[in-house]
Amino acid sequence: MENNQQQNENAGFTGGRPPGLRLLGAIWIGKILIFLTRKLGRGGTTLPGRAALSIAPDLSFMLAGRLKRGTIMITGTNGKTTTASLINDILDKAGLKCIHNQSGSNLAWGIASTLIENCSWKGRMDGDIAVMEVDEGAFPDVTTSLQPRGIVVTNIFRDQLDRFGEIDSIQALIKKGLDAAPVGSFQIINADDPSLASLTKSKKTKRWTYGLELDLPPDDFQNTGRDVKACPNCSHKLEYVKIYFAHIGHFHCPSCSYKRPEPDVRLTGRRVTGEGINQIEVKLPDQTLELEVPLLGIYNLYNVLAAITCARAFYISTPIISEALKNAVPSFGRMERFQKDSKEMIMALIKNPVGANEILRTILNQPGKITLVVAINDRIADGTDVSWLWDVDFEQLAAVKNRFSSVIATGLRAWDMAVRFKYAGFEPGQVQVEENFEKAVELALRQTGPESKLFILPTYTAMLDIRRYLNKMGLGNPYWEEY
Amino acid sequence: MSRINIYHLYPTHLNLYGDRGNMLALCRRAEWRSIDVNIIPVNPGDDIAFSRCDLLFMGGGQDSDQKMVAEDLKGRSRDMLKAVEENMVIFAVCGSYQLLGRYYITAQGEKIEGLDIMDLYTEKGKGRLIGNAAINCSLWEPPRTLVGFENHGGRTYLGPNLQALGTVLHGHGNNGTDKTEGAVYKNVIGTYLHGSLLPKNPLLTDYLLQKALAYRNQDSSFQELDDSLEEKAHQAALKLAGLQRK
Repeated sequence: MENNQQQNENAGFTGGRPPGLRLLGAIWIGKILIFLTRKLGRGGTTLPGRAALSIAPDLSFMLAGRLKRGTIMITGTNGKTTTASLINDILDKAGLKCIHNQSGSNLAWGIASTLIENCSWKGRMDGDIAVMEVDEGAFPDVTTSLQPRGIVVTNIFRDQLDRFGEIDSIQALIKKGLDAAPVGSFQIINADDPSLASLTKSKKTKRWTYGLELDLPPDDFQNTGRDVKACPNCSHKLEYVKIYFAHIGHFHCPSCSYKRPEPDVRLTGRRVTGEGINQIEVKLPDQTLELEVPLLGIYNLYNVLAAITCARAFYISTPIISEALKNAVPSFGRMERFQKDSKEMIMALIKNPVGANEILRTILNQPGKITLVVAINDRIADGTDVSWLWDVDFEQLAAVKNRFSSVIATGLRAWDMAVRFKYAGFEPGQVQVEENFEKAVELALRQTGPESKLFILPTYTAMLDIRRYLNKMGLGNPYWEEY
Repeated sequence: MSRINIYHLYPTHLNLYGDRGNMLALCRRAEWRSIDVNIIPVNPGDDIAFSRCDLLFMGGGQDSDQKMVAEDLKGRSRDMLKAVEENMVIFAVCGSYQLLGRYYITAQGEKIEGLDIMDLYTEKGKGRLIGNAAINCSLWEPPRTLVGFENHGGRTYLGPNLQALGTVLHGHGNNGTDKTEGAVYKNVIGTYLHGSLLPKNPLLTDYLLQKALAYRNQDSSFQELDDSLEEKAHQAALKLAGLQRK
């Protein structure tokens, strides 16, 4: 009975049909490779899925189709990992068994690996629902294979031009993915992003939107990442009543009728306590929620809203949502806190100008002295082009340079970062360069006094390197990393 | 005190690949020498007072922005060309470098008329040319290296009498075939290199500033700056390109 009902909700549901030999073989190969790569001390998130998909290209479709409650996909430039993890927390609290991929395994191969890892040797899924973070580039294909029940799109910003191309092409990818979503599925869209609100939806899907309705004090950030300037419909310059950051805000086109849609879920109040907890007021169509979320930063308010909206699309009750969000912890490398002796270390991933500016803004809102390590790598996963560093508003840090006990540049592109600090306005003597991560973190710890906090801002692969080192010192949980 | 007026063309539309870094490098290096820098942002429809402009900076843009920019610039091309002949300095990166030529063909196959300031044209090619790049730049004798990053779909071809900015040591250059990169005509420099280009190549930054001073008959003798950080970054980039400085 339940199966029938679910089948209607999710066209891709393949129920309890036994898997074919080819699929079974692919699952076995995948499982063996996961075991072997783990044995070798590697994460095994890419290779097993890759091998399995080469045997059974429809593996992800078949396995995801066996999930009783289907799949939720989260994509967008920034906030994917945090939003996916919040949704996971809420569904978990609601008693659903979730399958969840890690950031870094968000391409087709990594998603296949995650599914294989969470099914039995006979292909039975060990979970009710999958919450999958999906890379924007992989989004159209992964949508086709997972046939998700719901899709969350957080935002579109300029990111890794060497990989994604310009923002227009990211938008085209998102559109293609949304168009591939199955009949009856739902979409959760950020109403404050003009590049998303203009995306048309097919008649047979449902859409909910979310947005901020706050009066925030303006700051001096130059919003260098305002990638969307023109109306997507008529190319006239967009006007804003409010801008929260970059091109995210209350926009309208003075020339045609395009404007920010009235969001279904609105954040209408916010207070930050001394402990850095956001106390927020969220208006749903039928009620107003008061809740606490221990995540810093304006950008996290959007992640929280996206998660709440998604949870409501699943009819999860508001007490469960509140309870889950109250205990939310920062995801992997997203303002993650570590304690070394009496010294506090906070690690925050940076990967594009808008995200990095939001991190800098959050850092500057912290009291006390700051030691800063910026770790820049230029491997494929980081983006091989480091010119984005020049669009990050490091000038805001240099404007209060006395608050910094030291600034240290490290990573494969440490010297580029050092030059960036110099041109931002730091004194050349204040900028230290240590290409080796371990030495850079050691140096930073030595220079962090009792009254100051150490902030480490790495790119993706630099974060993996630094994390491995922190693990060695006994800090943080070990993890399975991507190749 | 010396003074340079930098006109920044369409800062909100042409700012794709860290072009802000190029502006910062020009400003900071002038400031450090107590040269007064005046930045005039130019938005579509604004006037450009070519009689006051010493250095025109044009960055890269998305295809959609670029079309708008080409439209807007069309009406100014005659004044611009006149200033160029009088040695006004132009520094153009990527998309706006293409715009300085006779025409370019977008990824969608659309032909956009250029400003016809330099004898070059840009065709579309298969795939994008992406990666770290280094060139031997002939603005100096002996030539010096410039390092940057390129990411362009267009293939640019120079006319027979147009000088390239340099010879490719590593990377693709103008079109991936003839080993040329960028172009120089009088004091106009166009290039595909970003990264940002100027902060890591202080020699080129100073070259532009000096030409801008000389254009208005101001003293262009420069005090040396401590460029050890920039030099290290330059060396590191050469190493990435598999090269050591000669």
